[in-house]
Amino acid sequence: MPLSGIEIYKLLPKSNCKECKFPTCLAFAMKLAQKQAELSACPYVSEEAKQALDAAARPPIRLVTVGANPKSFQVGNEVVLFRHEKTFYHPTALVVRVSDSDSADSIANRVKEATTYTVERVGHNMGLQGIAIQNKSGDKAAFARCAQQVQSLTDLPLMLMASDPGTMEAALEKAAAQKPLLYAATRDNWQPMAALAKKYQCPVAICEPGGLQPLSDLTEQVSKTGVEDIVLDPGVRDFNGSLVSLTQIRRLALKSNFRPLGYPVITFPSEAASSLEEEALLAGQQIAKYASIVVLDHFSPEMVYPLLTLRMNIYTDPQKPIQVTPGVYPFGNPKPTSPLLVTTNFSLTYFSVAGEVESSGFPSWLMVTDTEGLSVLTSWAAGKFDAPKIAKTVKEFKISEMVSHQSLILPGAVAVLRGELEEELSGWKVMVGPRDAVDIGSYLKRSWTS
Amino acid sequence: MPAVELPVQKWPGRIHEVTLGGNGRKKVVVGGEATLPFLHFEGAIPHRPAIAIEVHDRNPAEWAENLRQVWGSALKSPAAWAKKASELGADLIALRLSSAHPENGNTGAEAAKKNVAQVLEAVDLPVIVLGPEVAEKDNEVLMAAAEAARGQRLAIGDCMEKNYRTIAAACIANGHVAIGKTPIEINLAKQLNILISDVGVSRDAILMDPTTGALGYGLEYSYSVMERLRLAGLQGDAMTAMPMICTVGEEAWRQKEARVSEGVPTTWGQAKERAILWEGITAISLLEAGADIVVLRHPRSVELARATIDKLMAGAGQRSA
Amino acid sequence: MSTPSPSSKNFKVAFLPSHQEVEVPIGTTLQEAADRNGISIDLPCGGQGRCGRCRVKVEKGQVSQEDNPHLTPRQREQGWVLSCQAQVASDLVVTVPPPRERARAETSTSRAAATVRLEWPLEPAVRRATLEIPPPTLEDNTSDLERLERAAKEALGIAGLEVSLPLLRELPQALRQGEWRVTAILEGAAGDRARLVDILPGEVKGPLWGMAVDIGTTNVVVYLADMSSGHLRDSASAPNSQASCGEDVISRIIYSLRPEGLKHLQELVIQTLNELLSELAVRNGLATTEIYDMVMAGNTTMSHLFLGIPPRHIREEPYAPAATRFPPTQARELGININPNASVTCLPSVAAYVGGDITSGVVSSGLYKKKELTLFMDVGTNGEIVLGGDDWLMTDACSAGPAFEGAGIASGMRAIKGATEDVRIHSKTLEPTLKVIGDVKPLGICGSGLISALAEMRVTGVVDRAGKINLSYIREAMGKRCRAREGEHGKEFVLAWASESGTGEDIVLSEVDINNLLRAKGAIYAGITIMLRHAGVSPQDINEVLIGGSFGRHIDVEEAIQTGLLPDLPWERFKYLGNTSALGAFQALLSRQARAAIKEVAGRMTYLELIADNSFMEEFTAAAFLPHTDMDRFPSMKNLLREAS
Ligand code: SF4
Ligand code: FES
Repeated sequence: MPLSGIEIYKLLPKSNCKECKFPTCLAFAMKLAQKQAELSACPYVSEEAKQALDAAARPPIRLVTVGANPKSFQVGNEVVLFRHEKTFYHPTALVVRVSDSDSADSIANRVKEATTYTVERVGHNMGLQGIAIQNKSGDKAAFARCAQQVQSLTDLPLMLMASDPGTMEAALEKAAAQKPLLYAATRDNWQPMAALAKKYQCPVAICEPGGLQPLSDLTEQVSKTGVEDIVLDPGVRDFNGSLVSLTQIRRLALKSNFRPLGYPVITFPSEAASSLEEEALLAGQQIAKYASIVVLDHFSPEMVYPLLTLRMNIYTDPQKPIQVTPGVYPFGNPKPTSPLLVTTNFSLTYFSVAGEVESSGFPSWLMVTDTEGLSVLTSWAAGKFDAPKIAKTVKEFKISEMVSHQSLILPGAVAVLRGELEEELSGWKVMVGPRDAVDIGSYLKRSWTS
Repeated sequence: MPAVELPVQKWPGRIHEVTLGGNGRKKVVVGGEATLPFLHFEGAIPHRPAIAIEVHDRNPAEWAENLRQVWGSALKSPAAWAKKASELGADLIALRLSSAHPENGNTGAEAAKKNVAQVLEAVDLPVIVLGPEVAEKDNEVLMAAAEAARGQRLAIGDCMEKNYRTIAAACIANGHVAIGKTPIEINLAKQLNILISDVGVSRDAILMDPTTGALGYGLEYSYSVMERLRLAGLQGDAMTAMPMICTVGEEAWRQKEARVSEGVPTTWGQAKERAILWEGITAISLLEAGADIVVLRHPRSVELARATIDKLMAGAGQRSA
Repeated sequence: MSTPSPSSKNFKVAFLPSHQEVEVPIGTTLQEAADRNGISIDLPCGGQGRCGRCRVKVEKGQVSQEDNPHLTPRQREQGWVLSCQAQVASDLVVTVPPPRERARAETSTSRAAATVRLEWPLEPAVRRATLEIPPPTLEDNTSDLERLERAAKEALGIAGLEVSLPLLRELPQALRQGEWRVTAILEGAAGDRARLVDILPGEVKGPLWGMAVDIGTTNVVVYLADMSSGHLRDSASAPNSQASCGEDVISRIIYSLRPEGLKHLQELVIQTLNELLSELAVRNGLATTEIYDMVMAGNTTMSHLFLGIPPRHIREEPYAPAATRFPPTQARELGININPNASVTCLPSVAAYVGGDITSGVVSSGLYKKKELTLFMDVGTNGEIVLGGDDWLMTDACSAGPAFEGAGIASGMRAIKGATEDVRIHSKTLEPTLKVIGDVKPLGICGSGLISALAEMRVTGVVDRAGKINLSYIREAMGKRCRAREGEHGKEFVLAWASESGTGEDIVLSEVDINNLLRAKGAIYAGITIMLRHAGVSPQDINEVLIGGSFGRHIDVEEAIQTGLLPDLPWERFKYLGNTSALGAFQALLSRQARAAIKEVAGRMTYLELIADNSFMEEFTAAAFLPHTDMDRFPSMKNLLREAS
């Protein structure tokens, strides 16, 4: 269990010597509790304290790395059931599955598509995390060949899916350097699978559909062989079953500190879906409710884009609201004569303004000022959304080259900035817009004539 | 081998049950949950979440072409629209009196009465009546609607911090359910519930709308605020234990991702499918965060949401070992 | 302001009632124009156009200005404008109303002697010693300075003596006039090098004067102490005249950015201090130059302004002040009329919003050595909160706004004669009964009166839990003589009709005022909640709540709990301590140990930055309700409301 700041403080020297670069031992302890500092920064902690802190810091859900440099992803190490309690740390990895029974061409296409897919959202690039290769052919050589082919086409981490250890090893001989995830150790093959995981130093998934007790038992057995990087597949596929078993696994790990189930979980939404849309919806549920790796059987941008967006939403740190990249955003093909509105880069502010501008029907420019993620009034009060800052942004993004009218619309809540802003931006006309974003549409209708 | 003891959480609180309709009309009950969404193994979930289809009292020219096409001529009359919605499997009709908006016709009490009556006439489903979200107009048309539908147990909204008294009083006088809407913040939601209760609306006649953020547009805020409200309600806080309603369709279809098919990156994929998933994923995410009513726009999203709810409710009644 | 160039236009502005006239260039604000004439107009918000309190009336002529929400249409029609915003656009005649707040504020003084017990060993930094110095001879004609040092070393055990040039110039005369018997005033403990502060011929007896000063955003308090006996001899206080440049620290920081703004602010506070000094000197029959040491406690902004250090970055993220430890300086450098060589020590701050007034309070209140969990709070324009005891100390500060000091509230005023300090409202008739300081007709309402009014209004149902006035309910209860109405600033409740008040105008609380109060108390309660959470304790774990600051003396705990300002704890756990900041400065003046303790405490207080804490906004929203969104935290209010209904 993690310790509170005061509990950690009691273990520190209490000399307030500041060598850790914090003003007091308590300040340092509080940062440690928030995982924003390293214990090693204090040269004076006792051995005893170190041990106590290490034990408390041991993650209840193991952090597992799939893949090797330069491309790999990490999952697990989550500490809460609900994102508001802290944050979800390691976004669900979305993996696309190909089958060794498909034609080499179609495999190549799918792999290339998945590898190159990237989509931008509020200044962040999102993409997929890996390729899973299913041994559907039942043929060892075909599987190995497929693994080799995929490996040559992508640098995304791989997941090898075969139930026969011999087949698995055949592929591993080609792809082991990339540290693929092995799927899966089962009650029938766990010994040789565990041996492979150990020999090739790869993470392994354990699949046991018989319930959490048998899954836990199997995991214990595998981990006793010295394999530590484990991913769980409780084998339950449908909406409700998946929700329930993933919730229980997460609760057991976090609330009961139950080690045998303290591992990330993998799901296969398509196996319970009757359509692509349903696969997307189930994948969506699993992104929010506790899957660390989701294997998709279909890949289409209109399905992946909403899922990546959902993942971004859910894995945003609620303590650190996501910031929109400052800049000028066009809405509906604006012209140099279109209105220019100004706002801050707090995502919620941006979204409400953007939503209203979008639905106002007026093609417009929206200039987002860097207020370090604060809303209009908060940033104004903190001196981060003032006339010099706005003027600087106007100059930085060369806005006078984009709009011909040299006027901008200020949020109504900071009408006081108008005079000063007109001084800072000589030749510009500063208009005061509405206080609430919902009134943007009617404001533009009323006041935008040029 | 360590034994797995499944953690079963017993919650001291329960979500209030709110009944809509009845009195000759179909009845829909929401709320009553004694556990988190769809975790049937640890507590009762007596009622499935309901799906409302959004209907307007005017032809919404601003709606996305894709949507306008599927609804076709039904858009021309609220009665026909409601009827079609009912055939497409709505549990509830959410009638938005948008014609009362000063920029959409500025109609008044008379038109509201007429439109509400027509919709009530056309379908036997319970009805939610929503105002144009302009405080004075809301007061005017929602009062009229409340009177016109006396005894039909509508859900009427939105009561906001500014004007809750008038609308809440109209709900009490005419036997309706009040919807309180607050801007994505747990305390404000609770405060409005307290204020509405303080003027005399009983706990089984309040729904709360904590404000919906669409996928990619603040969904995470709604999601977490709803999870927290639900947790607080289950922990025994009666003033957060109101069933929740989310205007998913309205928010999802406001966004570029749902509206625009041209001039957007190819990585966004095909427009039609994307729009439906945008609405659908928003809906399912919020259902899993505790929504009791989702208001949707596209028939295909309705179909998907219904099928998903079926599956999520599949575990009802059975207790896992 | 630059001299107008020939091309720019000048206009004449005449001011009433003084009939002074000035010529200024077009675009000059009316306040600047007045200022040039020596007519000072208060700028409570520092001239940002936000408070609406710098009104003047244009009788004739044109000004250019923005629309301003602070003026009602009627006022605008009558010609009222904000002097900080309106700019000269033609020849003008302008009436400047008499400054309201200042006319009411009087200087209050008290002879609080003997009421303060010093709990520290009496060991002031400055000592006085009579030294016998062997006169020089032909055999031993070492210099005067050497002789003095030698004698001082022997007699006092110091390691050496620093003498400044001006004092050195006086030395030969003093030695000879006293016939080699002199009284040295020096600073420095045995074993250290000491600094000569003054040298007087012969033996001087009587009190050794020192002063402890608390510079608050609103008030300046001076304690005059006899450092030889350890007694407090007298005290005096006056409003901080910087208030004319902004009511709160933020407005003053903004003002300090004007050309000469910082200098002006520094002069204003030093002027206030000097006025208080001469008052004390006259009353106690001493020359101000007989005061040999001064210790000052103030919030971080006040310390910066007092020393003339730019405070700008206190306001801007990441809120890094120029300093939290201040170098010792001498009175002459600051223009303080005590002995020019006297040291002026500012007590150390912790952070931008936790200053020397708090470190001083933590020591004088005894918090720093408590064994049990203790909460200390100092409520003023800012609410500073300290939690802990002898093991650890945590602190935060929340900007409560000046509501509790009576500012930002239309009928608000300081706690002086004429201020309503207590309000009772009849539960049936809703008729209010006011208790007014000095038993006169009310002029306004002060912080404690506001808390009291708010609690009563809530308990009687005049306002709902969101602080909104329930018009229909009051109309029903009061009938014709209804005290609730729609006013210029929304709904309002009349506490005193014009006929009952001392101003000839209705004294009202509007929803806007109530909202300001809710925010103020919400910010403080949220600050407490967050700190408790960081410490991992619940309010019930607090063994004692120590309340410092002038505000604390008057409030009623029960009512403060009813409004949700203070946590719902049994009243015996609350303790009022009065001006803990001045008291700490006094202790530091008289005892090196106390001074060292304050320094130690400043080094061990852990500051929580509320702005960096994302839950602050949420806790604040939860607390901006009556008494709180989570009623379970206020069981006593729950019971009370149950009884009432
Ligand atoms: S380095 Fe260690 S002892 Fe020194 S202040 Fe930091 S935590 Fe305390
Ligand atoms: S409005 Fe002029 S000083 Fe505040």
